[in-house]
This record gives sequence, structure tokens and C-alpha cells, in this order.
Amino acid sequence: MEITIENLERYYGDRRVLYIEKMEIEKGKITAITGPNGCGKTTLLNIIAGLDREFSGVIKYDGKYLNRETVDKMTIVFQKPYLFRRTVFENIEYPLRIRGINKVNRKPLVVDLAKGLEIENLMGKKAHLLSGGESQKVALARALVFKPELLLLDEPTSNIDPDAINTLEREILKFNKETECTVLIVTHNMEQAKRLGNRIIELSYN
Amino acid sequence: MDYITQGFKEAIKLLISLDKEVFKIVSLSILVSTSATVFASLISIPLGVYFGIKRFKGKRMFSRITYTMMSVPSVVVGLVVAIILSRRGPFGQFDLLYTKKAMIIAQTLLVMPLVFGLTYGLAKSRGDIIERVAFTLGANKFHTVTLIIRELKIDILVNIATAFSRAISEVGAVMIVGGNIKGYTRVITTTISMMNSMGDYPMAIALGLVLILISFVIHSIIYSYSQED
Amino acid sequence: MKKIAVLLLSLLLIISMVACTPKTEEPVEPDVSKDVEETLDTPEVGEPTEPKKPIILSTTTSTQDSGLLDYLLPIFTEETGIEVKVIAVGTGKALQMGIDGEADVLLVHAKPDELQFVEDGHGTKRNDVMYNDFILVGPMDDPLNLKENYPGDILEGLKLMKENEFTFVSRGDDSGTHKKELGIWKEAGIEPAGAWYMDAGAGMGDVLKIANEKQGYTITDRATYLSMRDVLDLDIVTEGDENLLNQYGVIPVDPEKNDNINGEGALEFYNWMISDHGQDLIGGFGLEEYGQPLFFPNAN
Repeated sequence: MEITIENLERYYGDRRVLYIEKMEIEKGKITAITGPNGCGKTTLLNIIAGLDREFSGVIKYDGKYLNRETVDKMTIVFQKPYLFRRTVFENIEYPLRIRGINKVNRKPLVVDLAKGLEIENLMGKKAHLLSGGESQKVALARALVFKPELLLLDEPTSNIDPDAINTLEREILKFNKETECTVLIVTHNMEQAKRLGNRIIELSYN
Repeated sequence: MDYITQGFKEAIKLLISLDKEVFKIVSLSILVSTSATVFASLISIPLGVYFGIKRFKGKRMFSRITYTMMSVPSVVVGLVVAIILSRRGPFGQFDLLYTKKAMIIAQTLLVMPLVFGLTYGLAKSRGDIIERVAFTLGANKFHTVTLIIRELKIDILVNIATAFSRAISEVGAVMIVGGNIKGYTRVITTTISMMNSMGDYPMAIALGLVLILISFVIHSIIYSYSQED
Repeated sequence: MKKIAVLLLSLLLIISMVACTPKTEEPVEPDVSKDVEETLDTPEVGEPTEPKKPIILSTTTSTQDSGLLDYLLPIFTEETGIEVKVIAVGTGKALQMGIDGEADVLLVHAKPDELQFVEDGHGTKRNDVMYNDFILVGPMDDPLNLKENYPGDILEGLKLMKENEFTFVSRGDDSGTHKKELGIWKEAGIEPAGAWYMDAGAGMGDVLKIANEKQGYTITDRATYLSMRDVLDLDIVTEGDENLLNQYGVIPVDPEKNDNINGEGALEFYNWMISDHGQDLIGGFGLEEYGQPLFFPNAN
């Protein structure tokens, strides 16, 4: 999915927290957005995800404004994921279930992702009792399971152990390659931006 | 003072001997209040979640009205239902006044705002994050509401228990629309009220103890359930 | 917003405290200043009445619901300076309150129980005050044709009720009226039980409403029926049978029971009720509104 942004402004009261005159996110590529704390990275991501509608300016997805169809084809992984109070398996299969995919077809998709992310041994565990790294893996699996065309990642690897970071990064790269999904990752870690990004955008204060 | 201890003694006797009348009264109380709680929950929980997470103009005012409605007096509900159901009222032809159905209707209307308000407040404070996640995973309104109900089910269960406690312990509405007819519409609270005005304390005390016991059991179940999770 | 809410709440609290305080103090220690005020308010009373302790009258719901007490008591208070606090309950409870020493004087209608009450030493004496009569009321179309066949014979009417198992609503609350009704069934030789016999456990007004909704028959005092006639689809089917007469008695509670009992005031009420003056007032009640007396004075 290709995204074009023009004259995007977001105010909190009188304070402008984000201004982007023009930005294009290329289809099928991984774009990393970096910048100092408070420069509006997360705000930008929330706006693109459709969670924050209080902005002015134009955002288009493949040339069209945000609509139901677009929402169904994209997703976001938060810095602190919220997992449902169910098993890991049920968490990951949720997007497939609400899309009406039947149980038999759901299972292989879930298992496949779980293997890649090395969490197949956690399938029966209650998701809200997992560690930080495990939670983030489950959140990523849940995001990828329905093969979105746009994946938004908001600091997905902060505060987790290096092994888990490696796994997560590997799977993100793999997914991008296999499905040509557009990926937009917000990170304050320049090294990570370089490891993952085909392109790096540095956001500054407004 | 003698009649108090005497009353307690005879109350215990009534309970231990599983007195048929006590049993009938208690089971009718449970039947009526359970039905009312179930109906009210089926209607009010989804609506409460829906309005709790919805953003709309005048939501502050809406909240205030909702929280006021939660404490509507039971006699007022009873009165309104009695007027509507009486033979001269708009639903008079159904012959519903002084029946179990009328009691269930009145208690349903009594606890509906309570369940709605409690669920609404819960969804308003804790539903937001769940709604965001659901939205980004492609959930529609229906999926979102059912997801939030499942995620908050323990708190919702506590709310349902609160509503049941209100229903089973209220006397105003069931007295007015039920009429306290022996064997038909006589429940725990109306019996206690009647026994008191008759000066017959043992039965009143026995039923009072049962009422407290029911409350205790319900809340123990909820408590152990929330511990388990 | 919060501040306003707190302010409102405290205001409400203050109002309720101000409103409640004098009331709760009243029965314990009559406020002298208030009584002075009252005397000033009613200068037409010839001799200035001394502040007197109020009395507690425990009575049946029928005297209260019919409006008799609202009519009599203000006159009594004006003439004697004694305020009357009415607790309207079933006869069973009224008698129990007498036994527990929670009332000063009783006005009830269950003669055998009343005589027993005095015999047991709970009351100092008892006197007939008045009687009213009960009536059998039923649906307008009178499905059992009682009005046609037994307009003055309650016993035959009840037998027919039992034979047809037709809906009959009973007070079922151990009140004087309930006892009276049970007495009539007994007189008719019937043990009323079964699905057709509804035990309401409620006051007369509620029972009439239930009978109205269920379109059944019930035995009621005439006063309550007349006062509710307009909202009921019920008609009088049987009246005048001597089994339907209902005797009221007045009993001062034994003042020895505890220090709180106002024996003097109770005695004054007792004497007033059976005096010619009191009796005349009772006989005149309801004449204007219903064209017939509701209670017939018969003190001896």
C-alpha cells in the first residue's frame, strides 16, 4: 500500500505537535521513522492507523481517503501491546476469526507464524501472563496473521531482550519480502532503523 | 426482648426443617430476580458497552442522566408498571398485573438502568484500549462490543451480581405489581414486610437470614471466580 | 463542577437535618415554646390547655384508610391538647404492640382477642366504640349470580364460591378484617383453600385492587370500598347479613408496663371516644361524602 501525506497538522490545544508538508511512503518497502522524543512519531503513526482523526491535511492510501476497506488491510503494533485475556492461540487467530475464516483454515496460518516467531510452545498459555518479549511476539503474530498490506510498528522492540529483538526483526524482514507488505516502523534506535529500513526518514521538532 | 431470641430460635427451626412455604417463597424470589437480571443484562450490557466507547456530542450530559437513572426508586418503577399493566391501562388486556410476569417486568426495568450505567462506566474507563486494538485488527462495531464484553467479563459479572442483589432485595416494585399473593407472587421481601406488620417475627427473621445467605453465596462465587483468573 | 456538587450535597444534608431534628425530639420532651405557639394559634379554645404528652394510638389500617382518624383526631387534639401519633397496622400487630408496651391505647376490631388481651392484664379495660359492616363485592357481571340469589346471605354465597372454585381474594394478613373473614368461612362450614382462594397478605385497598384485576370476589369493609368505588370494576353483591357486622373496641394499655406509657392521655382518649360527643362525631362521619354513615356508634 502506498501512502501520501500533504500538509498534515495536528494540534493539542494551541500547541502544534506535528507538521508534515509532504511525505510519501513507498509501496512494498520498509520505511523507518526516527527522531527525538516528542517530535510526533507516535502521533503520526496513530493518524495513519486511523486512530486519531483530529488532524488537518490530506492522507491518501493508494490514492484514496481512509475507508473501511483500507482499515481492514492495515494494522499497528504498539510499543506496549494489549493482548486479550485468552490463550496465545486465540489471540493470534482473532483477526482471522472476525474475518469469517473457518477454524480448519485458521490453524495452519497461526501455527506457521508461531513457529517463525518461536512461540509455538506458548500456544495454550494465557496471553496476559507472558513476559514483555513474548507478548510482543504474540502481538506481531496477531498483526501478521491476516496478511495486511500496511504494517505500522510503534517502537516494537523497546525494553525487550536482544534474542527477541533478533527474532522480531528477522520475521518483519521475512514478511516484507514474502508479501510485499508496506512497513512503517517508528524507532528511536538508529541502528535498528538502518538494519530494517530501505529508507529512513528523520522527523524533527515542529 | 424475649420475642427476639424466640424469633431467632423459631427462624432456625423453620430453615432446618426446610419448611415448604419458606422454600416456595425463596425459590420464587430467585426465579423472579434471576429472570429480571438476565433480561436486563442481555439488553443493557451490549448497549452499555456501545455507548461507553462511542464518542458523541453531549456525552457528559448523557453520563450524568445515566448515573441518575441508576438509582431510580423501586416504588416508582412499581407504580409505573402497575399503571401500565392494570386493567384500565394500555396493556390491560393481557391480565398481567399481580402475576409473576409483572414482577419480572418491573424488576427488569428496575435493574436495566443499573446494569447499563455500571457497564457504561466500565467501558468508558477501560474499553478504550481494547477498542483501539480491535479497530486496528479490522473489527467492526459488533466484534468490538463482544470483544470488550469478553475482556471485561469479570467486572461485568460483578455488575450483574450487584444488579441481582438489588433485584432480590427490593420490596417496593414487587409489592406493588405482585400484590404479595400467597403461593403466586409472594417473595422474600414482601413476606418480610407483611410478617412484620402482622407481628410474626420468626418467618421474617428466617427469610431475612436466607436473603443475607443468598447475597453471601453470590458474592463468594464471583470472588473465587475473579481470583482464579 | 465538583465544588457545586459538594455544595449541593451539604445543603441537602443541612436541610434534612434541620427538618428532622425537631420531629425526633418531640415525643421525648415536648417543646414548651412550640406549645405556647399552638395555644396562641388557637385562641378560640376557651381555657388555655396545658402542654400535654402526646399519645401513641395503635390501630388497624381500616380506620386510617377510611379517613375516620383524619376526621376525628384533629378535633380530639383541639379539645384536649393531646396530640395523637397513629400507627396503623394489622390487628395482630396492633395487639402485639400493646403487649410490648409500644403503644398507649388501641383501637382495634377482633373482639375475642381484645377480651383475651384485657384478661391477660395487658389492657386496663375495654369498651365497644362503634361497628361497621362488611360487604361481599365482586365483578360487575356477578358470574355466580349472588346478587340475585343471595343478596343478604353471605354463608350461602360463600358455599357457592367454594363449589365453583371461583376466585376469592383474602386479606391473609392476620388483620381484624382477615380474622372476620375467616370467622365467616368457619360459620359457613368451609375450609377455604386451593388455587381459587388467593391469600394476598396485603391491606384492604390492595386486596380490592387485586380482586379487581383478577375479577374475583372479596369481603371488604364498606368504607374502603366506597372510597375506592370509582376506580374499581366491582359491585356490592351481598350486604346486611349479621355475620358481616364488625365491632370496634378501644383499650388503654396497662401503664404499669413501662415508664414511657402515657396512661393519663390514653384514658382521656378512651373516655372521649365513648362520650356522647365522640359518638356523635363518629356517627356523622361519611354522611356528607357517601350519603351514608360508615361507622355506627354503639358505646355502652
